[in-house]
Amino acid sequence: MATALASAGILLAGWQSGAHIADTGTTTTTTSLSSSATSGSSGTSGSSGSSGSSSGSSGGSSGSSGTSNGTTTAATYDGAAVQTRFGTVQVQVTIQGGKITEVTALQLTDAERKSAQISSRAAPVLRSEVLQAQTADVQTVGGATVTSDAYLTSLQAALDAANF
Amino acid sequence: MPPTSDSTRLRARTFRSMGTVVSLTVASGHYAQTAVDELESATAVVEDKFAELDLTFSLYRDGSEASRLARGELTLAYASESMQDLYVEAAEWRLATEGAFTAERPDGTLDLSGIVKAHAAREAALSLEALGLRDWCLNAGGDVLVSGSPRPGTEQPWIAGIVDPQDRQSLLGAYPMATNRALATSGSAERGHHIWGVGGVRPEFDQVSVSAGDIITADVLATAIVAGGTRTLDQAVGKWNVEVLAVRRDGTLLATPGFRKAA
Repeated sequence: MATALASAGILLAGWQSGAHIADTGTTTTTTSLSSSATSGSSGTSGSSGSSGSSSGSSGGSSGSSGTSNGTTTAATYDGAAVQTRFGTVQVQVTIQGGKITEVTALQLTDAERKSAQISSRAAPVLRSEVLQAQTADVQTVGGATVTSDAYLTSLQAALDAANF
Repeated sequence: MPPTSDSTRLRARTFRSMGTVVSLTVASGHYAQTAVDELESATAVVEDKFAELDLTFSLYRDGSEASRLARGELTLAYASESMQDLYVEAAEWRLATEGAFTAERPDGTLDLSGIVKAHAAREAALSLEALGLRDWCLNAGGDVLVSGSPRPGTEQPWIAGIVDPQDRQSLLGAYPMATNRALATSGSAERGHHIWGVGGVRPEFDQVSVSAGDIITADVLATAIVAGGTRTLDQAVGKWNVEVLAVRRDGTLLATPGFRKAA
């Protein structure tokens, strides 16, 4: 948790420097909107940004249906890739009504990337995605240890009896 | 099970040990009587090995060395070499799994029963190799260690079914034991015997199967993942060359690629 909060702070720092360097802002952004967002990012909006990062792209889609008032139109910015002691960080920030409504990581820190790789190695699967077999197709049966009594009615006992 | 080919067939023998049943299956193309003699003498050797280790390590025998240690009548410094060696091995696994696997009960009693069955299978494998047997499958109460092929002379792997913890009469899936010769499975129902959830938390997984190159690694990590949950699962697949199939309490599955169907 502490690491996640620290990362959120760095994400925002990356975005701030990115806003100056990359200037890859999209859509209808005004200078006043951009500057108000920058001032807003120094305070509590940082923590609201970190919660926004986990909520997908909903901020962006609501922005596309933005109101007729130009100052509340959502805009997204890609930050610059920033080297931090946690690894490389790049974020995308959505600003609406002068407030950061969403922060999305475009580039993960090395630590985050490693955990993403690990979870992709042991992923949720449907039963139909596991290699299937009938008892007749296997030579042995693995399972949590059964007692001698439970063995008598087990699939392994049936295989052993067939091969006796 | 029908013969695997015209000239080869599988023959199995079983015996009781360590509170469960051990099965030895041998693939052989020999003349029937030769093959049966070979299997029966091999089974006797394996059974002796299990019996010897059970005498030393079982806590349900009052006179065993393990029971004397547990009662404090004997200290580890004066224990047999095999007891000391296995305790050291268990302690190393406790460190490597950050405590998810442990050979101590919550009350501090030394209990190696989580590793003894795998240790016996490992020792039995050495005996079978010494006898010159190449194609066999040893199943010790659901933990599997294989050598060679069910069709000697071919590359065809032994295939282990994995029991469905919610319906023990059906298989959840299968695992071809090619590069990994060992497959161990632990269930949270065994918890009363040797799996304790870290911090006393109810385990996330009903059943965890781990395949590895050796039976100790497979057995220890299956036990550790039941106790330590997803965190230990992620750590295990990152640190060891293992494949994992885990069944969550709601029946859904987590699997590494080795347990998935070929795309």
